[in-house]
Amino acid sequence: MRKVYIAVIVLGLAVVVTQHLTSPSSGRAVSPEDFAGACAPCGAPCPSKR
Amino acid sequence: MTTASMAGPASRAGTTFDFLFLALSLGATAILIALVLLDDQLWSAALILGGFALGVAFLKAEFSYTASWRRFLTRGEAGGLLGGLIVIAVTAVAVVPVAALSPKFGGAIAPLGPSLIIGAFTFGIGMQLANGCGSGTLYTAGGGSGRMLLALAGFLVGCVFGSLSLPAFLALGGFDPVLASDYLGPWGGLAATLASIAAAASLIVAVAKRRGANFIPARNYIVGGLVIGLLCIAVFVAGGHPWSVTFGFTVWGAKIFSALGFDFSQAPFWQWAGAKHALEGSVLSDTSSLTDFGMLFGAMAAAAATKPFAVTAWPPMKSLAAALIGGLLMGWGARLGFGCNIGAFVSGVASGSLHGWVWFAAALPGCLIGIRLRPLFGLSAD
Repeated sequence: MRKVYIAVIVLGLAVVVTQHLTSPSSGRAVSPEDFAGACAPCGAPCPSKR
Repeated sequence: MTTASMAGPASRAGTTFDFLFLALSLGATAILIALVLLDDQLWSAALILGGFALGVAFLKAEFSYTASWRRFLTRGEAGGLLGGLIVIAVTAVAVVPVAALSPKFGGAIAPLGPSLIIGAFTFGIGMQLANGCGSGTLYTAGGGSGRMLLALAGFLVGCVFGSLSLPAFLALGGFDPVLASDYLGPWGGLAATLASIAAAASLIVAVAKRRGANFIPARNYIVGGLVIGLLCIAVFVAGGHPWSVTFGFTVWGAKIFSALGFDFSQAPFWQWAGAKHALEGSVLSDTSSLTDFGMLFGAMAAAAATKPFAVTAWPPMKSLAAALIGGLLMGWGARLGFGCNIGAFVSGVASGSLHGWVWFAAALPGCLIGIRLRPLFGLSAD
């Protein structure tokens, strides 16, 4: 089980670092709720707006 | 003198700790913090640290929503359930008024309708099969349970399927969010929210008394509830919204599926502004991902600091199957239900949003079914 954990941590961290460094800089971290029209934590629209 | 080696656990002055995994967890956290600080994102670093502290607090307090809900449903024991309400009450004191008074902050709101009910019900089944909820999956996987790593994998896949299903379920109809502070103002909304928590606590205690069960929370649930509640406030201040867990899982899953060649450009969910932004940007630009990473590594550090990490044998296949199926159900249910026990229930109620209580009421019957199913997978129904 320890080897699985080591593999997951090392691989996962490498992917996160690579993905972050190759992504456009977006400033402050945001949640979907920060965007206009969001009506839920995932950013779903309100029933009245659909 | 420490005799730690890179190969395994070590002992010092009678205390066993695991140097390798302590170093891995602290190193990984430091790398993530360094990455966001390179972009001058102090609040992102604060979210990682907030998640880290939550991981430590959950693990040390052994704060389990899944087990406490199961104990209430099977034996009537209410202590753990009340501990969960302490978290919500503490969090609400800051979230309800601040979200109502400051445009920089927002509460956890969600529409009411079939999607919410079906999602929460499904999540309830899944959390009992997996033996962990949203927060529980994170801190037990981080804490060294290989079984819960599998549940986390299922959670990610379930979230992606849920994201593809959600628009169709939203089309079934529903009502806009009902927020106490919209009707009663910031302080009236807070009073109503605390009153609703008190009413729920009274009802829970009454059920426990009727069943002759204990209803006094254990010390770890009182102290843990207070500490976790305060950390929820810290995450709220740093992120601008109450703590949520499962949107991060959805983004992780979708990024993995994208890397495997899956095209989300025609999926309505991923065309919504927030989801689209999250899928296109860095995973470290999503607030829930930041706290999720922090929580995983915080729990890992706390576990590795006190005992050898992940040295237990893998559980039987049936138990692993339950973890995977439970994770899938939780992921799918969390997307339809607008979050898990944290994002929808804790943060929803703490925001004064009615959907939090509806989620809870729908998740409990799901838990009952999940409890009935547990013996099929060799798990205790108690």
